[in-house]
Amino acid sequence: MKRKTFIASLVLLAALPFASCKKSEPKGNLTIALLPKSKGNQYFVTCEKGARAAAAELGAELLFDGPINSDPAKQNEIVENWITDGVDVIAAACENKDSISTALRKAQAAGIKVITYDADAQPDARSFFVNQATAQGIGEQLMDTAASLTGGEGEFAIITGTLTAANLNEWIKFIKALQAEKYPNMKLVDIKPCDDQKDKAQQEATNLLSAYPNLKAIIGVCSPSVPGAAEAIKQAGKAGAVKLVGLGLPSENKAYVKEGVTQAVILWNVEELGYLSVMAGAALAKGELVPGATEFTAGKLGKMKVEGDNVILGKPFVFTKENIDQFDF
Amino acid sequence: MSHPRSLSFKSLLARHEAVLVFVIFFEIVLFQVLGRNFLTERNFSNVFRHSVEIGLLAVAITPVILTGGIDLSVGSMMGLCAVLFGMMVNGLGMDPWLAGSAAVACGALGGGLNAALITRLNLPPLIVTLGTFSLFRGLAEALTKGAESYSGFPDSFLALGNSNFAGLPTQIWVFFAVAAGIWFLVHRTTFGRSFRAIGYSPEGARYAGIPVARNTGLAYVIAGAVAGLAAVILVARLGEARANAGIGYELLAITAVVLGGVSIFGGSGTVFGTFLGWIALAILNNGLTRISDFKIMDQTVASVARELSGLLTGLLLLTALAIGASIKTLAVRRARNQPVPTSKPEPATQ
Amino acid sequence: MNKYFREITVASALGLLLLSLAICAPHFFQFQPFTSRLTSQMPVLVAAIGIALVIMSRQIDISIGSQFSMCAIIAGVMAASGLPLGVSIVAAIGAGAMMGALNGVLVAYLGLPSIVVTLATMVTWQEALRLWQQGRLLNLPDGVQWFGLSQPAGQTVVISLSFVLLIGAALAMKHLSAGRFIYAIGTDAEAARLAGIDPKRTTFGVFVLMGALAGLAAVLNLVQSPQVQPNCGDGLELKTIAAAVVGGVAISGGRGTLWGVLLGILLLANVNPALTHFHQPPYWEKAIQGLVILLAVLADGLRSRKNQI
Repeated sequence: MKRKTFIASLVLLAALPFASCKKSEPKGNLTIALLPKSKGNQYFVTCEKGARAAAAELGAELLFDGPINSDPAKQNEIVENWITDGVDVIAAACENKDSISTALRKAQAAGIKVITYDADAQPDARSFFVNQATAQGIGEQLMDTAASLTGGEGEFAIITGTLTAANLNEWIKFIKALQAEKYPNMKLVDIKPCDDQKDKAQQEATNLLSAYPNLKAIIGVCSPSVPGAAEAIKQAGKAGAVKLVGLGLPSENKAYVKEGVTQAVILWNVEELGYLSVMAGAALAKGELVPGATEFTAGKLGKMKVEGDNVILGKPFVFTKENIDQFDF
Repeated sequence: MSHPRSLSFKSLLARHEAVLVFVIFFEIVLFQVLGRNFLTERNFSNVFRHSVEIGLLAVAITPVILTGGIDLSVGSMMGLCAVLFGMMVNGLGMDPWLAGSAAVACGALGGGLNAALITRLNLPPLIVTLGTFSLFRGLAEALTKGAESYSGFPDSFLALGNSNFAGLPTQIWVFFAVAAGIWFLVHRTTFGRSFRAIGYSPEGARYAGIPVARNTGLAYVIAGAVAGLAAVILVARLGEARANAGIGYELLAITAVVLGGVSIFGGSGTVFGTFLGWIALAILNNGLTRISDFKIMDQTVASVARELSGLLTGLLLLTALAIGASIKTLAVRRARNQPVPTSKPEPATQ
Repeated sequence: MNKYFREITVASALGLLLLSLAICAPHFFQFQPFTSRLTSQMPVLVAAIGIALVIMSRQIDISIGSQFSMCAIIAGVMAASGLPLGVSIVAAIGAGAMMGALNGVLVAYLGLPSIVVTLATMVTWQEALRLWQQGRLLNLPDGVQWFGLSQPAGQTVVISLSFVLLIGAALAMKHLSAGRFIYAIGTDAEAARLAGIDPKRTTFGVFVLMGALAGLAAVLNLVQSPQVQPNCGDGLELKTIAAAVVGGVAISGGRGTLWGVLLGILLLANVNPALTHFHQPPYWEKAIQGLVILLAVLADGLRSRKNQI
């Protein structure tokens, strides 16, 4: 019995590679694959919404798949699966810059057009990067807003997602650089990770507030950190005394912004980021967007600017008490 | 917690593997019908290329589980070994192959720490490896300050993770070698047979003259070393070494082992079963992503199938467990009803 | 050796940590942040009571993090749809008890190993929750935070409720027969059975209780802010198991006290704030926590070795 099983399974496994090789049949439509950093994430779910709208306009098929946990190898696996499927365009938001580049280069070698959005890969692994705002732009916007609220002096702290997140670290780098250059009277006292958990951000902010009694501002660079820190500031009764700025969705921060706990929330239009990524990918595949171009037409968004190999979405938007009611995402 | 065995139980054990082969076959047919590009050469090598690390961990913890222990630290060990490997190559300028061997040695060392705590101090494996689970990952993060990563490895090294050898992904040959080695150890040597004896009844094994502490310890050292090897292969595939390598892999590896019919209480199971469990899991994982363009009443269910892959893995594990348990209950019942021809001494219940 | 050796050791370690904080960073003891920190640990304490009972009966439950998240979201969704808070709370606790019952049936009546069962249910709930909520941060209506009371009153309710529960459970473990049953089946299930205890029913009951406590813990967490996030229970299983082990609950079952668990939580929960107050970078947090766990089991090992000789 056992031996038979063994032999049967060996035969079966050996036969696998020789089994009928069904090649992907040529399709009339463009297939565009969108890779988020993670699937169960409000930010990328909103991105997907925009991407679907763009795909519907183009009559293209959209595949949306991504890791569900923080396993860095998962993104590679998904990309390689798409290579097998012979998709036309891959648009990737990269978690681990160097790892994903390995897979994206393979995709390019297989004739697939590759663009990145949200977080970039190595430049040689993609044609264009759809930039929601440069890392420099985001970092400096956060720092400038924080500095203008504190009058350009005093201690401040940063709450980040995880210590290993590449793009968050990139933004923090620019925050530090601008502070050293432009705001010598401000001092970055601590950087704490919140593991993308709002409750942990609240605890970290409570600790920061009591450990650094002279703290003037907190900058939250990941979206769960902003409402978490806001609740901590509110519970400490320091609303207004400690300024809070950060990146996040307006819907998650509306209450705190109106109460004056959070002074400013910075974000680009996430839905348009998904939309633009799909449009740019399609234009690249159709040959409408070529290296060296300075602009291209992206559906309902009209003409978009291209700087070098970056497609620019626009400046990050600052949501404040005055305007936050106008937004519902 | 040991179970009375009989002839019928043994044949059921063999049947478990037969069932798995059937499940694998069923999966292949199902995904070939529903999915696109499932049975292609490229996808075939993808399935294995992307699951070799899990497979390595699964066969490596099989001896540990056979002794009635568990090792939760192997995933974290991969993170630590990956970081150490990256530091040795990028920081010290070591040859990647030398650094790779050093990473395997580090893994063995970490496994040795587990082994020492578990066998010398008689501590429960679950809690010791839970502690080293935090410790190894924590060290990996501390060494890199969380943010640093290492890349730019030579192409000759990256080929280990990305090229083919004799028609199959290069790393699968490494896996075959390791799996064959562990199979030989567990099923063809007296030393390896002692793993099951220990898991069956540690006291009995001791009375039979088996050096229980030494042999159990060695199972953990092997698991650590193979985790180091898996880390090197992962780095070769991704081209980047980072503290988050191998997060959550211990759970997938345990799933494969349990699916393969190895008793989590120790004492029974085969390396071949683990191998089949791993293949079933790898194909499920890949196959669900192949399903697309599949419509029911004009509703695309493609994304739903992909969304379900995690949920199905959990349910599959539960089902495998429940089936395993009811087979065992049946076997015990049958063994009780049939008079056993040769009187075999019942193992003492703990 | 003293019966409460472990409790005394952990208490001394905690005392030492607090003393060094008092000297180097007296801000740590300001009333408001101190209360907030304590309140935020109460859900962990309630969940840890459950996990301690599970471990004492020689089982393990690693699905409590997903149970916690699931209950929090169930309560949140119900409250957001306009149902009274009381109904939502009962629903959360009930849902927890039901998830616990599933674990209990599989472990107690099918005889499956709890580590694998709860591993599978952990993945299942986590995935179901992700499919359901897609990671959305849920805004709660007014009147949920602090049960609709003022902040100090709400914090008092959360803290006192948790401590009443702790004291009640500790007394029950010592004086009620149900509590002694748990120690009994954890020490030797077969002997317990011969002594007339039904190990299956007791184990089942422990898992149901665990689920209900996870639900209550989720409620106590829910009321601390006006929003709830579907990943709020991530990592809870590690936190609580570590606290129980450090507090002297033997993973081999049958031994440990809930007071030890409380001390374990306080010690581990203060590692991170202490790093912040000593103005140290956070990279070492995970490694330090792993080390504390290993030291605790090491102490156990050395002690039992000494006793053997």
